[in-house]
Amino acid sequence: MRSSYSDGLGRVRRAPWVVAGTYVATVLMAVPLALTLRGMMMEHLGASLAAGAAARGVNFDWWNEFLAQSAGLGQTFVPAILGFAAVLKNLSTVADAEALPTVIASAVVAHAVLSLFLAGGILDRLARNRVVGAAAFFSACGVYFFRFLRLGLVAGLVYWQLFTRVHPWLFDEVLADATRDITVERTAFVYRLGFYALFGAAVLAVNVVMDYAKIRAVVEDRRSMLGALAASLRFIRHHPGAAVGLYLANTLLFLAVVAAYAVAVPPATAPVWAIVGAGQLYILLRVIVRLQFAASQTALFQSRLAHAGYTAAPVPKWPDSPAVEAVSAAGPGATGASTP
Amino acid sequence: MYDRVALHQPRRLLALAALLAATTAAGARQAPDDALHQAVAPPPSRQDDAPLPGARSARNANYEIDVRLDHENRRLTGTETIRWRNIGRGPASSIVLHLYWNAWRNNQSSWMRERALAGGERTPREDEWGYIEIDRIELLEGPAAEPGAGERSPQPRGEPLTPTFQSPDDGNPDDRTVVSVALPQPVEPGQSVALRVAWTSRVPRTFSRTGAIGDYYFIAHWFPKVAVFETDRWTAHQFHANTEFFSDYGSYDVRITVPQGWVVGATGTERSRADNRDGTTTHRYAQDDVHDFAWTTSPTYIEHRQRFEHEGLPGVDMRLLLQPEHAGQEDRHFAATAAALRYYGEWYGPYPYPQITIVDPAWRSGAGGMEYPTLFTAGSRWLAPRQSNQPEGVTIHEAGHQFWFGMVGNNEFEDAWLDEGLNTFSEERVQELAFQPNYRVERFFGGFIPWQQRDIALARATDGNGLNGYRGAAERDTPATPTWRYWPGTHAQITYSKTALWLHTLERQLGWETLQQVLATFFERWKFRHPRPEDFFAVATEVSGRDLEFFFDQVYRSSNEFDYAVEKLTSVRVETTGYEGEGDRRAYVERTSDTTYRTTLVVRRLGEAYFPVDIKVRFEGGEEIRLGWDGLRRWQAFTWDRPERAVSAEVDPDRLLLLDVNYTNNSVTLQPEAAPAATRWSMAWMIWLQDVLLTYAFFV
Repeated sequence: MRSSYSDGLGRVRRAPWVVAGTYVATVLMAVPLALTLRGMMMEHLGASLAAGAAARGVNFDWWNEFLAQSAGLGQTFVPAILGFAAVLKNLSTVADAEALPTVIASAVVAHAVLSLFLAGGILDRLARNRVVGAAAFFSACGVYFFRFLRLGLVAGLVYWQLFTRVHPWLFDEVLADATRDITVERTAFVYRLGFYALFGAAVLAVNVVMDYAKIRAVVEDRRSMLGALAASLRFIRHHPGAAVGLYLANTLLFLAVVAAYAVAVPPATAPVWAIVGAGQLYILLRVIVRLQFAASQTALFQSRLAHAGYTAAPVPKWPDSPAVEAVSAAGPGATGASTP
Repeated sequence: MYDRVALHQPRRLLALAALLAATTAAGARQAPDDALHQAVAPPPSRQDDAPLPGARSARNANYEIDVRLDHENRRLTGTETIRWRNIGRGPASSIVLHLYWNAWRNNQSSWMRERALAGGERTPREDEWGYIEIDRIELLEGPAAEPGAGERSPQPRGEPLTPTFQSPDDGNPDDRTVVSVALPQPVEPGQSVALRVAWTSRVPRTFSRTGAIGDYYFIAHWFPKVAVFETDRWTAHQFHANTEFFSDYGSYDVRITVPQGWVVGATGTERSRADNRDGTTTHRYAQDDVHDFAWTTSPTYIEHRQRFEHEGLPGVDMRLLLQPEHAGQEDRHFAATAAALRYYGEWYGPYPYPQITIVDPAWRSGAGGMEYPTLFTAGSRWLAPRQSNQPEGVTIHEAGHQFWFGMVGNNEFEDAWLDEGLNTFSEERVQELAFQPNYRVERFFGGFIPWQQRDIALARATDGNGLNGYRGAAERDTPATPTWRYWPGTHAQITYSKTALWLHTLERQLGWETLQQVLATFFERWKFRHPRPEDFFAVATEVSGRDLEFFFDQVYRSSNEFDYAVEKLTSVRVETTGYEGEGDRRAYVERTSDTTYRTTLVVRRLGEAYFPVDIKVRFEGGEEIRLGWDGLRRWQAFTWDRPERAVSAEVDPDRLLLLDVNYTNNSVTLQPEAAPAATRWSMAWMIWLQDVLLTYAFFV
């Protein structure tokens, strides 16, 4: 597990274009909406003197006024988006299964589809652990996109059930009943933490299964996503300690990045370049952590199960699956890997 | 619907002219106008409410109560003797009692129906309902001229009287919160009567800040309580979801029996305590000159005491009943209470009772943030960052209610703004003086985890007074509407925020010294009595020396919004184009001045409400022009020819009018900075959005 963790970090380090591309994807998704919001702010501020204070720091009076008088995207410009509160707000929104504003939910869905498209290329690149070039990268994206879309539908259905049925039942009914007569807040919080752990475990379990299903789909060039899911479950069943341990180690890395941002986030009165710089560095680190999850899990799988005797496709076509490359690298007589 | 009547009343315009004259006289006090004062004189008193000799109040509603708590069954059994003196102007042929807990008897009460109207509340479970039931009510004494002289009355005594439920407000036949008891003989003004009432009640799981959760009890509005007789009729409203209470002053002597070892806090001071053989303890609390009695009990309270001392004010024993999980927060509770006692005492009048009890309610008891005579509930959290307003804000507010509600006992059913609004204004003033900075706190993860936003220091004028809440509810109700008729969802913004905003506006307009005199005079004149809004307006006019009726028309008798704006500001070289001269000298010219800029300013009144405002124009080189505008017309244009270009223009530059719902449009600069501001904040927002995308990408 430890070697997979460090192997994963190495693979991410050796894939700077993947890191950059994933980061740019978030920027590309966010910029249009940010520009729209900027336009709304410009219009609201007009030539007012209120803009001067807002340009130098928090003009909370104007902020409230803007919030009260705007609709749609403007309604998402709440004080909680400021500094580290933004991170807490997002984690809290997920943990408490709160609904996102429609406009943000639309962006999330669009980004999810984009991420799904890129996932095949990213996993392929991380599994090969060598430079494949843009054409090969996007070809892999194309090859796996519709497979992952099918997998995504399954995952989406499971998550949907978890967040719209299990969470309300767990928190609004079971937890509410369990804490109904508790008059000590910290005791109630301990209960809530327990329920977060319970629900979180369910979500993480689904997540781990989906992660290894994607990895097996790419590494073994699987076309059946139900088969990939079953294979993923088999892998986790046979290597539960490593799979869960690695996941927790990566979660710790995520928490370390979050904690670092909590400490380093500049105040609202800081120059705009400092705020943007710190924020974008944090986003970049989150991208790296996300890729580290994929890279280390791929490394773990390859170290345990990706054996040379396995070929997924009868006639490998470019781009070859990493398993085919492994076979190719295994020795003479094996299926030859081809690159254009 | 807008109320435009005031705009067209000559007297209002006269009053406005008087105010404008006063405003532009650079602080000079205007002599009161007798004719105007007659016009705003308060109505004659509805009660003969002079204090009894040696007392602070008329003490006409007195109670001796004996109550026992059955914790296992969550029941109270009580008996009370009510000694009531008619201080009205006519005879009372009945006694009207409030049975507040019947508001939660079932979902057909007016309280529950109104709460449902506001929406968002779940249906209570079976064990949450409560009720109060009169087992027996009988005439003990009177009517007689003197309390205690009833034995000489020919009326039959000891015979049970028949209570009849009434619904004077909405005719709801299922509402049982008001009961009328016909008397065999009317009680004439000045006469007294004594009733004995036995009742049983089930303690609800907390509604409206009274009830029980686990072994925590907060018991308020819990006993059959006599309504207020004014002029020649009872002022007795049903219990409504939006309203609080109204009662006459009197003496309370209450014996409370609870399980042994449980801590009790109550209105007044503890006079005795005796353990009983059945494992219970009886605590006796008593207090004169109060209009209500509340108590609390729980085995887990931690008791702290501190003495309030401040030069020029009487000392007060502060008793704090703290939740164990809030250990370490006792100083914050005491400091906030002491600040309220000090500042309210200095501004309005001293707190006259020897003790004040601060109750820190149990988590999720729903009892937090409520005032009762000499006792109040604050409200804190397990994690409560310092330099934020919890528990300080609520503690100051509820301690402040000892003055506005406790001592000045207005009718909260009808004019809740009189105590809530005046108190919110005062609370925020104390908070500004004593507890700064006050940072915004955002709560996450089910509200358990606070995050203090040190970038956002809350300001009294806008945040404290609740401008943001008011902005969204400004036109929902007219404050002059009886409070119980307010729309349930927005009454707080009108009652609390709008009043605090217009009082703060008056503070900025008249100066704090004047407004403080207004409030102090109102307090002194109406303490231990029941003022009406007209009484406040009359004092304000009298003490300020200005007829403020036009202002009260805007803020009290109307739901109109204030919104002033700069519509246009230009400052360009003077250009002359066209013909000049006459006859043979007429010539066509096109000329641009090298030395003179023409500055044109257009200001607008976008809202229906009006208020005289200043206008400030700043020119290059730092010169400023400031002038007054009556704010009446829909728009007004101004032009200046000067050697400097204008830089900016503002309507109401000192922000006297805190009710302006859109202050951003009050100014225009010719060197706008909207672009850098919008860039800064959209970039900050973008980081949040990217974090959202990455957070949800976890599921992909």
